[in-house]
Amino acid sequence: MEAVAKKTMKQKVNNVLGANPLDARFSIALFIVAFIAFFIGGVLGLLQGLNRAGILELPTWLNYYQVLSAHGVLLVLVFSTTFTIGYFYAALSHTLGGLLSKVRKLGWIGFGSMVVGVVFVATTIIMGDASVMYTFYPPMAASGWFYVGLVFLVIGIWLCAFGAFINVADWRKKHKGQHISLLAFFAVGVFVLLFFGSIGVTIEVLMIIPWAFGWTDTINVLLSRTLFWSFGHTLVNIWYLTAVSTWYIAIPKIIGGRQWSDTLTRLVVILLVVLNITGGFHHQIVDPGITEGIKFMHVFMSLSIGFPSLMTAFAMFAIFERSGRKKGAKGLLGWIKKLPWGDVRFLAPMIAMIAFIPAGAGGIAQTNNQLNTVVHNSMWVVGHFHLTLGVTVVLSFFGVAYWLIPHLTGRVLTPQMNKLGVIQTLVWTVGMALMSGAMHYVGLFGSPRRTSYTTYGDNATALGWDPYLLLLAVGGTLLMVGVVLMVYIAFNLMFFAPKGQTEFQIAEPEENAAPTPKWTERWTLWIVLMILVVSMAYVIPVVDMIVNAPPGSPPFRTW
Amino acid sequence: MKYGLVLYIFLMLPPVANLAESVMAIHMHMQMTLFVVVGVLMAPLYQKIFARFFEKWNSNGVPGILLFMVILGYWLLPRTMDEALSIPAVELFKFISLPFLAGVPLRDSWGKLSNVGKNTLYVLLSVIFGGMAWLYIASPVQLCNNYLIIEQKTLGWGFVFFAVSIMIYFISTLIIDPSDYE
Repeated sequence: MEAVAKKTMKQKVNNVLGANPLDARFSIALFIVAFIAFFIGGVLGLLQGLNRAGILELPTWLNYYQVLSAHGVLLVLVFSTTFTIGYFYAALSHTLGGLLSKVRKLGWIGFGSMVVGVVFVATTIIMGDASVMYTFYPPMAASGWFYVGLVFLVIGIWLCAFGAFINVADWRKKHKGQHISLLAFFAVGVFVLLFFGSIGVTIEVLMIIPWAFGWTDTINVLLSRTLFWSFGHTLVNIWYLTAVSTWYIAIPKIIGGRQWSDTLTRLVVILLVVLNITGGFHHQIVDPGITEGIKFMHVFMSLSIGFPSLMTAFAMFAIFERSGRKKGAKGLLGWIKKLPWGDVRFLAPMIAMIAFIPAGAGGIAQTNNQLNTVVHNSMWVVGHFHLTLGVTVVLSFFGVAYWLIPHLTGRVLTPQMNKLGVIQTLVWTVGMALMSGAMHYVGLFGSPRRTSYTTYGDNATALGWDPYLLLLAVGGTLLMVGVVLMVYIAFNLMFFAPKGQTEFQIAEPEENAAPTPKWTERWTLWIVLMILVVSMAYVIPVVDMIVNAPPGSPPFRTW
Repeated sequence: MKYGLVLYIFLMLPPVANLAESVMAIHMHMQMTLFVVVGVLMAPLYQKIFARFFEKWNSNGVPGILLFMVILGYWLLPRTMDEALSIPAVELFKFISLPFLAGVPLRDSWGKLSNVGKNTLYVLLSVIFGGMAWLYIASPVQLCNNYLIIEQKTLGWGFVFFAVSIMIYFISTLIIDPSDYE
């Protein structure tokens, strides 16, 4: 009882004082980088969309693939990672009573390392030396400095991850027998995945660097792709897990409800962490040199990630219905009307969740070998990840930004800004529905991804894609409006919104909630389990790829 | 108990057993490991039925662990894998020995062992697995009639991960004291 009293006291203090200014500065710095990357990435996205529709011819000094690489790197790597780290550091600071000063230092060093990395990467892309897309598959080779930049980026991420571990361990030592908050638990899960997930890609990059600089002659292409996707798919799920954390923790608070079962939520985190890294193979389902048995096994491993997602879907509907019924909703679906649709902090992540229903289903379809062959490397895939990343993750992140940024800067979200946010969300939704829908559709007709506009000598099939590509460009233009609005809102909330207090949105557990069992905190066990699952999945094929490797490939510059 | 029995039957189904045994690494690292897990899951039942027996013969956990190590060591040999594939009686022995002579005694002994005993086992297992890794990876010749050299190397790397996982867990028990946190 005393502990509970103490906790609420601390929360009160937190609420009165707002965020720790030193910690807030760190998160805001990351958010600034995130939204600048988001803006530039968005502009580049528009250029691509217009080019792809055949409306806009890029100037000779700007290559389609260069634009595509920068768009991918800025949005997929920079925006999502900086936002995730900024959000979770703010969460750790808020729920664990401030960051330790050494952790803050570690965070800043990590941030510096990431900035250096981004500078290297961006410069090489702008110079036209790294149009290798964000997946940088060998044998396409960029300038060696591009990969050096990636190393700095990864080191930065690792430093931030270890900072988080140190902070959590320290808190637990000082609060024996207590559980870290659910949000901090999500943070641990995300940072564990960020660290272990990036080991594979680090090995890959360390193989590529000497090859790109010309110190070694050849590289094992299949192995590089495999190592990349062991990271690539994990990264996808890191954003997803970040988005999910706001669904479980912030949304119940915003809709005036209570948290879902703490134990089951933690179980979702643990399952996502243990099962995640092995999902990577379904990106290589058409790669030669991997036996069918292995691919079949990986379909299982990929689909197993769907299980915690279905648990999440169940939990969300339960939260909505419970809070709706508490407010007096009647009938089977009356609770839908009781949801605060006009509140952008709810609307944005709600649309994110709804989008995940078709997005997740599409993902499951792609995981299967036969269905994958229909859409592999077509625009369908681009449509898929613009739905998952571009709506589910991004709108959840925006939903966080509307309350987290003002919380950190000691400002408030005004009703006008809320209205603008609602407009932004709707513009974004319509834009993405048009663009992603068109991409899915035209992908089924065979339009390839990662290809600049061409009619293939006025081939009838290729000409048939044009109406859809035009729709894609219309969607892309709407999205650009959404980007401008969102960047305006984000910077307004950072520097210009009226001063005031905004609460960190964390839902309370149910009154009769059962205590969370201790085993959830046994992270060593989960990590060892994760390593075992990873080795189960990867040892057999990777040894095969190394031992039975064909002659390696020299570097190619295809642009 | 229930789960143990279900897993046991599942693993012995001919198609499952055939599939598992068709890949060397899966044969040793998944099938055999899961048979031990079957024993671990079933152990409480036997501990109840044969309480006096376990009390008399395994009072400090050492005999049980010795038995576990003997069975484990036996099944680490390439020759025994071959025989399990070609001689039905040996296959049967595998199905019986791993759950009942390795899994059950492991669970019965684990709680009775002192910290030193547990730590010794962690170290011993990772050293043995490391040695097996070296054997299977470095061997220039085929060690099993039934498996190719590439599969042998794969198995070796599997041993590396196994040994590393045990080592990580062992080191974490040394440096992390749960009572600091719980």
